[in-house]
Amino acid sequence: MRSVINRKTLALPYVIFMILFVIFPLIVILYYGFTNGSGHLSFANFAAFFGSRRTVGTLLYSVVIAVITTLVCLLIAYPTAYILAKGAFCRKHGFLMVFVMPMWINFTLRITALKEILSLVEGNLAMHPFFNTIFCMVYDFLPFMIMPLFNSLTKLDKSYIEASADLGATFPQTLRKVILPLSVPGIVSGVTMVFLPAMTNYVVLDMVYNSTYIMGSLIGSYFSSYDWNNGAVISAILLMLIGLFTLMTGRLAAEKGGGRR
Amino acid sequence: MKRGSFIGISALVLGTAAFTGCSKSDDTGVTVLRIANWEEYIDLGGWDEEEVIDLDEDTEIFGENSMVEDFENWYYETYGKRVKVEYSTFGTNEELYNQMTIGDVFDLACPSEYMIMKLMREDKVLKYTESFFDTEDENNYYALGVSPFIKKRFDGLNIEGKELSEYAAGYMWGTLGIVYNPEYVTDEQASCFDIMLDKSLKKQITIKDSVRDSYFAAAAIHFKDILKSEDLLNSENYYEQLTKYFNKTDEDTVDAIEDILSDIKDNVYSFETDSGKADMVTGKVLANLQWSGDAVYTLDQADEDGVELCYAVPEEGSNLWFDGWVLLKDGIGEDTEKLQAAQAFVNFVSMPENAIRNMYYIGYTSAISGGDSDLIFNYLDWNYGAEEEGDEEDGEDVEGAEDAEEAEDADEAENAETGDETEITDEDEETVEYCIGYFFSDAEDADEEYCITTEKSQTRRQLYAQYPPIDVVERCAIMECFSDEDNARINHMWINVRCFDPSKIFGG
Repeated sequence: MRSVINRKTLALPYVIFMILFVIFPLIVILYYGFTNGSGHLSFANFAAFFGSRRTVGTLLYSVVIAVITTLVCLLIAYPTAYILAKGAFCRKHGFLMVFVMPMWINFTLRITALKEILSLVEGNLAMHPFFNTIFCMVYDFLPFMIMPLFNSLTKLDKSYIEASADLGATFPQTLRKVILPLSVPGIVSGVTMVFLPAMTNYVVLDMVYNSTYIMGSLIGSYFSSYDWNNGAVISAILLMLIGLFTLMTGRLAAEKGGGRR
Repeated sequence: MKRGSFIGISALVLGTAAFTGCSKSDDTGVTVLRIANWEEYIDLGGWDEEEVIDLDEDTEIFGENSMVEDFENWYYETYGKRVKVEYSTFGTNEELYNQMTIGDVFDLACPSEYMIMKLMREDKVLKYTESFFDTEDENNYYALGVSPFIKKRFDGLNIEGKELSEYAAGYMWGTLGIVYNPEYVTDEQASCFDIMLDKSLKKQITIKDSVRDSYFAAAAIHFKDILKSEDLLNSENYYEQLTKYFNKTDEDTVDAIEDILSDIKDNVYSFETDSGKADMVTGKVLANLQWSGDAVYTLDQADEDGVELCYAVPEEGSNLWFDGWVLLKDGIGEDTEKLQAAQAFVNFVSMPENAIRNMYYIGYTSAISGGDSDLIFNYLDWNYGAEEEGDEEDGEDVEGAEDAEEAEDADEAENAETGDETEITDEDEETVEYCIGYFFSDAEDADEEYCITTEKSQTRRQLYAQYPPIDVVERCAIMECFSDEDNARINHMWINVRCFDPSKIFGG
């Protein structure tokens, strides 16, 4: 007789978890997003979001913050990860640790400390809210970019680079033609891990005294004024944008990284 | 229908904890009382031994255990019944309301006046029983001790024909004002809400990240000419007029306020939820829109760091707010045991000595004046009264300061150094008579009885913040509960203020 515990039953807790904490909340969000206060199907919330210059402005503002944060993170993280994975420090995991360790400390604590340093340099923090927001976000999210990049660069076989050099490619050529394409999966997962939270992490903005809303704070303000419908529709819009973004980057990763093996 | 079932399911998922606490009191003989209060809004006990408040030989007030624990014991001693309090906290009125919407059940809660009115409008609260207001019963500390001033302000408030005074028992009250650093900000600047737009203090002021408080401050700026006009000030129904202007929510007013708040946003340091207190103490900001109780806390903290801060309630008028206990229909229902326990809790925290403990612990001002008991006034005198003659205790302190390598208080050290062997007379510190009779008594001549001799600086500091003089409270209006439609308009306005305006990129 076959054991009662087969693969399917083992998956059951996971399925229950998914339904309770992923599927069900999604349904609730969509339900509230596309109904009005009295429970009737309505696209008014949806139209209201795209109809207002201010809310669309907030979406743009969030995207700009997220894009800049992601790019800066990438520019800093890529060389760092490369040196850690392939340079003189490779195999010395202690150095990687130094970069990842900040993740172990609560991020509000890190930002509070950073805030003090910044105000020593700048004086009045409120004078440069945008710069400070980007600075703190980059600091906050950098380890999330380094880790996936490091992982994908360590997997990269060193012989490819050597082969490229043997065939007469200069290092910039190797970088462009070999290393970069092969590390696309790492870039994609790094970008996803930074871009999405950067669009909604309003705690950082609050902490550096940036009084302009981003998507996260906009959603929060609707919920605190008991307007669940408008709050939910914005969450849903964000969800769709993120879905679209993941789909696009996913395809990119498949195209570039797929032919690796 | 559908909506109901959805809320039902989400309540099941999110509020399971609340449901498990729903045990019927009869089974075990222990009444379970679920209380929701603001964070850090009650004495949690555990005071240091030096903190004992010794008003006279007979009365010593000391917070050994938490107020909640003391209540459970007191209830058993007084009524012979056991009660178990499940105490939880909330951070904003809206948070409490949302908690209740998703299925958390409480028996007793302490929201602010406008939320109380909203709950009354939605029929979610119960009336206090007649026995609660019976002044013959000596255990009815609330009915016996509530300040006549608070009572008067309560009496004017009603919504849909319901009188607020029948549904709410005052807990703490205060004003909205400006904490400022007198080294950089003049008294005149701080006496006006225009300070928010003051270019000389650009990016050095913080304002509350709250729609209602910001709306109130902006309304004061918008109507300042009318509010300060002789016509209004001398009119017979001044208080009604004042309240009317601060509660205007028509479209023109909301539009005008949106413009003012946008300018404020560009000028202020930030919209803060909690960082303002610390930023005042560290000197990051020079002025801060603040509730009086938090102002007291901020001033106390700054004193410890050797920074002197002041508090002012702007001249054009300001907000008088209060938080009060309400009995929640969902939780109490028909359960008379719960009802009795809930009302007893309100009475317990209204006991003069407990009101003092809470005030001492949290810095806010109790709505209780003590009735026939002089305890609360004595506490004020103990806390703020200037020592007319250096009494023994102070003498010892000065001697101690001479020995100590570092004198804690710079003034005292100076006095000790100048060679004053006898007593400190504080000649440079003038004392004034500070009268707050209006709070303690209805009588015409109340001011004669309820005066404190205090240091002059206290008229701009903690004492002023905690118990403002009568001319200040008379220009403070209560901000009422807006209709849902007005609320939606104001929230929309707020989102417009806070959201990024793309036209700014092109407009410079």
